Amino acid sequence: MASIEYLILILVGASFLAYLFTKLNTYLGSVFTILATMFVFASLAGYGFGMGLDTTVNYLPWFTFNQTYLGFYFVIIIAFVYLMVSFFHPYYLGQYKYKDSYNMLFLLSLAGIIGAFYTDNFLQLFFFFELIIWTTMFLIPQGKSREAAVSYFGFSVAGSVAMLIGIFLIFSSTGQLDITSGLAAISGTNAIIVFILFLIAGFAKLGAFPLHIWLPIAHGNAPHPFSPVLSGALVKLGAFIGILALVRIVPTANLLVDSINLPLGQWLVAILGSISIVFGTLMAIKEDDAKKLLAYSSMSHGGYILVAFSLMNSVAFAGGFYHILAHAIASAAAFMAIAAVARATGTTKMKELGGMIHKMPITYLAYLVAIISMAGIPPMGGFISKWLIFMAVINKGMIFVAIAIFFGSVGSFLYVFRPLAALFLGQEFREYKHVKEAPIMMLIPTFILMGLNVYTGVFPSFILNFINNILGELGYAALNVTSSSIINVFDGQGILNPALISLVFAVGVFIAFIIFILLKKSRSVSLMDTYTAANFVHDEHLLHYSVDFYAPLERLYEKHTNWMTKFYESLAKKVKEIGNLGKYLFMSKNIGTTMLWIITIIILLLWGVAL
Amino acid sequence: MSAILLVAIPLLVAFLSILVKKYAPYLLIIVGLFNLVMLFLLQDGGVIIGGFDQPLGINLLLNLYSRIALILINALIVVIACLNIKDYGKYGSILLLAMAGLNGLVLTVDLFNFFVFLEISGIAAYLITSSNKKPTNTFHYLALGAVGSSLFLFGVIILYAMYGTLNYGAMIEAIAANNNYAEVVLPFTLMFIGLGVEAKLLPFNSWVKGALGHSNTMSGPMIASVYAAALSFVLGRMIDNLFLFQGTLLTIVTVLLTVGILLGDFMAFSSTKTREILLFSSVAQASIVALLFVNGVVAWAVWLIIANALSKTVMFLVINKATKEVGCDETKSLQGLFTKNILVGLAFTLATLSVMGLPLLVGFMIKLNFLTALAGAGQIWLIVAILIASLVEGIYFVRLLVKLWYKGENEISVKYNLSFKVVFVVIALALLAFGSYTAPMNQIDNSVDAVTEVVNNG
Repeated sequence: MASIEYLILILVGASFLAYLFTKLNTYLGSVFTILATMFVFASLAGYGFGMGLDTTVNYLPWFTFNQTYLGFYFVIIIAFVYLMVSFFHPYYLGQYKYKDSYNMLFLLSLAGIIGAFYTDNFLQLFFFFELIIWTTMFLIPQGKSREAAVSYFGFSVAGSVAMLIGIFLIFSSTGQLDITSGLAAISGTNAIIVFILFLIAGFAKLGAFPLHIWLPIAHGNAPHPFSPVLSGALVKLGAFIGILALVRIVPTANLLVDSINLPLGQWLVAILGSISIVFGTLMAIKEDDAKKLLAYSSMSHGGYILVAFSLMNSVAFAGGFYHILAHAIASAAAFMAIAAVARATGTTKMKELGGMIHKMPITYLAYLVAIISMAGIPPMGGFISKWLIFMAVINKGMIFVAIAIFFGSVGSFLYVFRPLAALFLGQEFREYKHVKEAPIMMLIPTFILMGLNVYTGVFPSFILNFINNILGELGYAALNVTSSSIINVFDGQGILNPALISLVFAVGVFIAFIIFILLKKSRSVSLMDTYTAANFVHDEHLLHYSVDFYAPLERLYEKHTNWMTKFYESLAKKVKEIGNLGKYLFMSKNIGTTMLWIITIIILLLWGVAL
Repeated sequence: MSAILLVAIPLLVAFLSILVKKYAPYLLIIVGLFNLVMLFLLQDGGVIIGGFDQPLGINLLLNLYSRIALILINALIVVIACLNIKDYGKYGSILLLAMAGLNGLVLTVDLFNFFVFLEISGIAAYLITSSNKKPTNTFHYLALGAVGSSLFLFGVIILYAMYGTLNYGAMIEAIAANNNYAEVVLPFTLMFIGLGVEAKLLPFNSWVKGALGHSNTMSGPMIASVYAAALSFVLGRMIDNLFLFQGTLLTIVTVLLTVGILLGDFMAFSSTKTREILLFSSVAQASIVALLFVNGVVAWAVWLIIANALSKTVMFLVINKATKEVGCDETKSLQGLFTKNILVGLAFTLATLSVMGLPLLVGFMIKLNFLTALAGAGQIWLIVAILIASLVEGIYFVRLLVKLWYKGENEISVKYNLSFKVVFVVIALALLAFGSYTAPMNQIDNSVDAVTEVVNNG
């Protein structure tokens, strides 16, 4: 019987062992990390699905744990992403400055994750959130930029500060620190404030507009094996908090937006989610760095999740939950593919890359499958979730949100295709001639993720049935799913048969394959085997460019992309100015100034008392 | 054996040590250790001096609260003295004086006697800051300190004129009997401001920037940890037992302290000098401690003082040592300090994380508990202010940590002695240990320093 307490203790113990092992030998420490992560994942997967984990606490007196389908859904996805990423550690850690602490902090943050989703107490939730933040914060500066850590930390802590204020508001008005009963008990104006505060926390962690600034900075500059964790796993903490607010507290229940029968708060979140989708999409289209591009894509997918959970019906919720899974798998796979390329070439800039398909075909395939899922095309998992969200939005009649969602989908065709074209296709660069496919150990997670991307797109019934458990827990009706994975929403208004779609797709691929076999074989030629301007080519010039794909589109908005960044910059500047003002007013070298303050305070006080 | 020895011996040895200057630091360490042993042997209770029964005579009070404070103060002085034996050996006599003054300050329950000790410890503090070799800053401190203690004395005189006693217990009873808070607003304000100067509360603390901004491995931890802790303890005792702020005074004090918390962290945010960052963060922390006392969250205020004193000792020692060797305390020029000093870096990081209040470290449990206590008292706005300040604090500390861990343009090399490292590791481990095992911290409650009870009963 696996116990949650033991899992956490094991991870904490393992983190220190990992430190020692990594100090001895990077490879040894990393393999140990893989084994520890695998053990935890296996325990969770083995006992967690049936809520069979032991929640008793013997050694951690302050903590209390409780199993919920909601928490488990998150924890299993995140532990899975951690496990997949850990396979990359042996090949990356060697280059990092503080590699011994990398595995340690990685495992500690996983301990935090398990605690965060299994606790039933607000203060413990905050404990685990902060633990996750600081352990992961120290991983980020090992990548390209140190400022990235500050930005990540600042926004994350802003989120948890908002959450903590909300928690204390609940505590002081209801006396509850239990998550379920606390959220149920809060009412009136306090409920509105807590709703807003929790959403700030959710938005900050999810990287949704307008708290998205850190996302590209952190994802883009984090160590390569950590970006998938950030995007696939850690931003989902924001979704969790968002769900607590959107589903458990409905503070404006009697303040309905009449035409769509949705509470005002939820409606506003849907609008902000749509802005996230549109903004993330536009920024991703423009981005040159592949990792930053994927970061903006995460922002846009965060928007989908927010829209889904603000619609207050089972179909949307199911879509949201499914999207959390589908995006975690797809974005982890995509980031890991980019990481593999970056390991081989040392860059993630699209301008500097090309033709990797010749050297890294499997990585290419993994990326291709991942982006098909991200763009929401069958037969991948992203299609199912987006379809559910589309159905729910259209059913609600939210025209503008629907437009945003469609825009995001079309836009993602535009941007996810760019790294594909720039990194993998096109002309091979001379300096990357020596590059080889990623080692077998890195291909293991690549294959697993590829398989899951397809599995979630073809046979969603297992996952949807589990999501039905969560829906039941949240007090919503279950989604109508047959055993052969046919999804029926809104009493037959929408029926989806993913297996059939996949079959059609497979037939199409099969026909294409037959044509490929039957047609004349193409001849593989070397780069020089061509001519241009009536001359033979004697030198491997770059003849293929894959930059500025969408220049005319970008020109429409490129001047308006950084006003949120400017806002936060000026906010920091204002804080600094207030600090300087404080120094000027109170820290003067002139003793008279201090005397003036003392006298002023005495006078103020006596005046106050006299009145 | 009586608590008076805790004051008398350091004072006596301080004067004797002038004759044998060379051995002053060793005498200091011996006396400090003696005091620590005494603190474990002595019984709780009052000591009456000069044969006059209270409320006429001067009396000292040793209870759990003052015992905690004294152990912290004496232990830290011993540690700081040990580390600086070579560089600042000639300050031994002064540190003995400081020890006598601070011990007296914590022990005494007589207001005039309190003033005497305030002056003794003040003089020692001015002399300690003179080791910074910045005479104008020391003078600034001295001038403000003099103003502070005069205001305090003025307040005490008014109270004496009103109630005819200087004894805490008798005074508290007389005030309670009179039950007219408006009468005592003026003396209390004067006393609060007087102590506020020494306890680094904004806006009475302009000396801090000069005194700590140029501090060294002795004056930095002495002023920022030992003096800050001692003054916070005695200010807390006053607030908790005597002042019991009400009405307009409560409003003004609360506003002042809240502004102090926010501005302290904002000022640190706008600083680029490492020592300034640390000292402004101390200003904010001192205000938080005072605010907790004002709101009656005594137990967690005590733990916060201890945790801060320990963390700030490590932080100031690390930075001041590095500053001395590098010759500049701009964060830019200290980049990469920890690349070669991993152990020191870890200890500094843990101390910083504790001050920031991040989990696994003792600072987190303290923060969570006092915030919960404030929430229980319905003080949501104070929580909001403290948390906003802590957000700003987190950002500047992370910025600092990342800079110190990763090297910049120039490589710097700073060597820390083994003795420094031992202190760092012990404190860091303590912060970590009490962060995960918090049971001992629940043993004291908010009535830990109920002076009246003890004074009246014994």
